[in-house]
Amino acid sequence: MLHSGKTRQLVSIALLALLVFLTLVPILFMILSSLKSNAQILGNFWALPSPARWSNYAEAFTSIWRYILNTVFYAVTGSVSVMLLSAVSGYLFAKKSFPGKNVLFLMMLAMMMVPSVLTLIPSYVLYKNMGLTNSPWAMIISSAAGGQVFGTFLCRMYMAGLPGELFEAARMDGASELRVFARIVLPLSLPILATLFIMQSVGVYNDYIWPLLTIQDSSLQVISVGLTLFTKQFGITDMGPQFAAYAISSLPLLAIFTFGMKYYIQGMTQGALKL
Amino acid sequence: MRRTSWILLAVLLLLGLAPLNVSAQAPWSSEGAEEITSIAVSADGSRVAMGSHGSKAAVFDQEGRVLFEVEAGNVVNAVDLLEDGTLLAASDDRHLYAYGPDGHLLWDRDFKHQVKSVSASSDGALVTAVVQRGKAVIQVDAATGEQTGSFPGDTILKTAEVSADGSWIAAAGADQFIFLLDKDGQPHSRFGAGGQVQSLAVTGEGDVAVGTDTRQVELFNKEGTRIQSLSTRDHVSAVAFSKDGKLLGVADLSGFFYLFDSNGSKLWESGGGQVGRALAFSPDGTILYAGQTDGSIRPLDVGSVIAEGKSQTRMRTAYWTAGALAIGLLLTGWLFYLKKQKRLVVFKSIWHSRWVYLGLLPSFALLFTFMYFPAFSGLFHSLYQWQPGGKTTFIGLANFERMIHDPYVSKGLGNLILLIVTGLVKALIPPLIVAELIYHLRSKKLQYGFRTAFTASMVIPGVAGLLIWQNFYDPNMGLFNHFLQLIGLGSWTHGWLGDPQTALWSLIFIGFPFVGILQLLVLYAGLLSIPLELMESARMDGAGLPRIIRSIHLPLLAGQFKFLIIMGLIGIIQDFNGILIVTGGGPMDSTYVPALQMYYAATKFNDLGYASALGVSMFAVILVITIINLKFIKQSDE
Repeated sequence: MLHSGKTRQLVSIALLALLVFLTLVPILFMILSSLKSNAQILGNFWALPSPARWSNYAEAFTSIWRYILNTVFYAVTGSVSVMLLSAVSGYLFAKKSFPGKNVLFLMMLAMMMVPSVLTLIPSYVLYKNMGLTNSPWAMIISSAAGGQVFGTFLCRMYMAGLPGELFEAARMDGASELRVFARIVLPLSLPILATLFIMQSVGVYNDYIWPLLTIQDSSLQVISVGLTLFTKQFGITDMGPQFAAYAISSLPLLAIFTFGMKYYIQGMTQGALKL
Repeated sequence: MRRTSWILLAVLLLLGLAPLNVSAQAPWSSEGAEEITSIAVSADGSRVAMGSHGSKAAVFDQEGRVLFEVEAGNVVNAVDLLEDGTLLAASDDRHLYAYGPDGHLLWDRDFKHQVKSVSASSDGALVTAVVQRGKAVIQVDAATGEQTGSFPGDTILKTAEVSADGSWIAAAGADQFIFLLDKDGQPHSRFGAGGQVQSLAVTGEGDVAVGTDTRQVELFNKEGTRIQSLSTRDHVSAVAFSKDGKLLGVADLSGFFYLFDSNGSKLWESGGGQVGRALAFSPDGTILYAGQTDGSIRPLDVGSVIAEGKSQTRMRTAYWTAGALAIGLLLTGWLFYLKKQKRLVVFKSIWHSRWVYLGLLPSFALLFTFMYFPAFSGLFHSLYQWQPGGKTTFIGLANFERMIHDPYVSKGLGNLILLIVTGLVKALIPPLIVAELIYHLRSKKLQYGFRTAFTASMVIPGVAGLLIWQNFYDPNMGLFNHFLQLIGLGSWTHGWLGDPQTALWSLIFIGFPFVGILQLLVLYAGLLSIPLELMESARMDGAGLPRIIRSIHLPLLAGQFKFLIIMGLIGIIQDFNGILIVTGGGPMDSTYVPALQMYYAATKFNDLGYASALGVSMFAVILVITIINLKFIKQSDE
């Protein structure tokens, strides 16, 4: 019994290891190929890169740094707006009572049910008519307007669980409403705000169709679209620098996940289980 | 409240109920004319001249009766009419001809080269011609046909146009550059168009319209600054300004005709008939004469479009005012009603909570403007032929009808069903297996390690991941073919994405071994929430692992499965990122899905109403899924 349990464990581990390896094949392939020249890829496909061409990275970096910088800027501004909007609305919906509260909250929730496929084209026309296309606003506003819906929902849920006595006590001490929000509510809600920030940033960073539709100017373009334009834009046909560009574009996500994986998973499962 | 919304709806519907029609008279034709190359209208509008591929030029009166016809030795490239009724015709037989009002030859001049264009001011003071491979605009005396001057350019010219009042000459070079010369032939500006110049028109103000092969008409002012780019559905075949320069007529190679005003907004568009090869306005701008490929001239009555458009704007204002008034009245009535019921206190509490509303204001302003408005705009415009900035026409369910007959949509639906089936299998089975495997590991450290290892694949941006997979499928340098050769299956190597037989399955295979992070985490969390005692007691009763999984895990994970299925369905119906990047729907139509067709309808064909209709249909399907799901959950809860 014990023996069979042990082999079973070993088999499980081996199987999992194989699956992990297969899952990570694209990453491994990307890293290996990013150090090769075209001749190395075509001539000796399975060999390790020797000599390693680090110049691929320099070449890739000069072509895409602009896109990465743009995207990080859009992601951060968009996510901070989402955090602010959601924190305020979430708090009001969680802790205040006012006429029309339920109707307003439902109006917000209803938008979670509307799929992007319905709004994509009309949104594009709207942004175009408002003169927002081909500007950073196209990215920032759409991220803020779309993200706050789920954000408000998350924040309301979280803030409803905060102890009301705490706010009462602060108010008794003469703290203004704004002060209570800034000094008590926000610090206590940091975990959920971090979750929001990370989910939203990752969302913006991975967004492809919307920037493809709304942004034409190369100097404003985001990394997702930039990667597909890479060859055309810079006339680079070597595979090595392309893979190096993919690797470089992974760095911001790597940074975010290293520091905030916990929050991201929290957000994903929370959003998942509450629906 | 309910009534208000009905009235609003009615108002919205009424706004677009009257489609604009351009009454086209029966086309005029001339025997054996073949494709028309050029059209001109005399300054008083009484005569219309055309030149054709069939070596013919003809002059019609206003009613479409042929006044006279003349024959040249080869294709007539261009015609123009002067005030005194003189007809100028340039032909590939290397001659430039002038005929009197009654059709007798005034003069005929041999240029030794094919004459590619002729254009004159209405009074005949300025007549220009361009010959094949010529680098200069040639000035011709209208009375004798003698060459009186030449304005050299620095490149081979294709065509030159003189404005009706003779104050500007626009010439297009073969290298996409346009030269604007003043009436003395002095260069004023030089500018580049975005593509090969197909046709050219210039107003008395020096504004130049350039039709290009990039599906655009570009408008430049006399300094050469681009003011507008107007998009068309196909290569532009002809452009023409009205005499006052306020209207611009455009024709494209797909048989569409467009009418723009001077601000570049589209007043009207129509299509589906013959391709227009040449355009000219009547002097008052009410008739647009279109010369077509079959050699006929179609007079389009655009005056009524413009008049109708104006009255419609008035109607629109009236509707909105009426709507606003109705809402105001209803609100007042409602207030009185509340007062009677002594329920006005609600306003007190609203006033009391004013800071709360102020706090919600930014959120809701964004919500209404950028979420609600597009959603309703999509629903609304799915019933329209939607041309933002121009004429939007109510066409009822025609967009939806068209969808049923669209072969790309039916092909896409078939593909979508396959994608849904495989997508659900991919979303459930591999993550479940991995979740079970991790769950049954004894070591907590290993559990944590494997979970983290699987999530590591998230650090690659989605697009980069797709591009890497696209590279895997590359016939020459891709991982797959190299791997097949390595294991001795070299004969199986294949252009995976280039073959319609394998392209869709290659797309499906992307992401192997399909251990989705969200799915894995949801199922793993579900397994962790199953009480341990349950499994202990089952084990006591002698149940083996397969039995435990079947009888305890799977039933207790039903909620998670349902969630993953719904999310999967909604996601798959909407998603076309991968297809757009990896195959673009091809080869042929083998990897189309409806969402991709929607994207193409909007971006490639500028068919926004049709795109909205596709979006609405997909939304309807998703809505039905959601409702079934909600109902299902309620039932299972009870």
